[in-house]
Amino acid sequence: MILGSGICATSAFLRVLLSVGLLGTAAPSATSDEPKPKPENTISVQLGEAVTPQKFAPAPKFWIADVTDRSGNPQPMLVMRERGGLFLDRQPTAIVKDALEQSLKAANLLAADAATADLVLRVYLFHFGLGSGSAVDFFGKVEFSTMVKNPKTGESQEVKAAGTSIGKPAFRKKTMQKNVQEDIEEALHDATRNFLRGTQLKEAVAALWKGIEVSPAVASGTATPPAR
Amino acid sequence: MRTPTILAVVVILALGASTAKAKDESPHYKTAEAKHFTTAEGVELTPTFVDYFYAELRSELTKAKLVNEVIGEGEAVDDADAPKSLVITGTITEYKKGSVVKSALIGFGAGFKSLKMDADVVRRSDKQNLCTLHVHVKVDPRWNEKVMAKGAAKEMVKEMKKALSEGAKTQDGKS
Repeated sequence: MILGSGICATSAFLRVLLSVGLLGTAAPSATSDEPKPKPENTISVQLGEAVTPQKFAPAPKFWIADVTDRSGNPQPMLVMRERGGLFLDRQPTAIVKDALEQSLKAANLLAADAATADLVLRVYLFHFGLGSGSAVDFFGKVEFSTMVKNPKTGESQEVKAAGTSIGKPAFRKKTMQKNVQEDIEEALHDATRNFLRGTQLKEAVAALWKGIEVSPAVASGTATPPAR
Repeated sequence: MRTPTILAVVVILALGASTAKAKDESPHYKTAEAKHFTTAEGVELTPTFVDYFYAELRSELTKAKLVNEVIGEGEAVDDADAPKSLVITGTITEYKKGSVVKSALIGFGAGFKSLKMDADVVRRSDKQNLCTLHVHVKVDPRWNEKVMAKGAAKEMVKEMKKALSEGAKTQDGKS
């Protein structure tokens, strides 16, 4: 009986010792597995060719006040955790702002500053990067919502935009990085186009821009920023 | 003397065939807008499935070269292009999860995941229904549902291409 309890106590002690040892070995490996940004696993995502927006009559001047990250992602620059990780070289908010500014500027729709703008845009970014795909290919997804505001009247309207892209799969790490980069760029281009050529923006501009002279009825629609 | 002549004939024939094929493959429509499919009551699929299927459908439409440009949901189209533009809407009507046990024990397609969806292809300008599609996809239950989305998108575009080309042929025949 005593012998039995002695054995039990020894085995319990050994079990505790083993688990402590396992924890001790597991903890450093977990931290070492966490991918870190290096030049060789960092990609630069850019819009590339500017998107031609739809025609507005009369054409307002836009100003992008700010882009806020609403994705809830603690590591927005980490695109992919597997295979040593894959990082963006800039914050997604900066990339989206650049993309919109580049396209608006190319179409001469970007105001010089906030004071001279007819409509001010506040962008809320919900998703930027890869979505959960089939694991056979890469699913690029960019999704944001924009509050279009007339600074003179205070009226605002929400415009949603989303872009998707399916990228080719790859086995080699270099090819994988290239494919992911192309995939996200394509999704960014798609989202920018969806925003600038969307009927929602057309309606918002028509409502807010006419609102100055004609309809104060729309003025009641001062919307709150979107939240997820 | 004979060999170069035969070779020349073969090359001419091949060139002729390739140009004829290229002529046939030129897209008949300018734009296509695929909308997110809705799910019927009782269909238990993750919300990301519909999003992924939408992306796959657009990707397959681009690959199929059915139209010049595949536009995003809610994008404006020039009035001049509207008669040559398509809008694709659809509903996922049925989804069965399948059974790994049945699939392993019985085989021959038993216990496979099953997905049924209906789609309507309408002309943008007058909302005329150009074709109605019914797609039924079955995949191994061990596979991810996104793989099923990929298969369904491929099948959908294949059916669409077939239906639209048949429709175009009958229109040509009437005129």
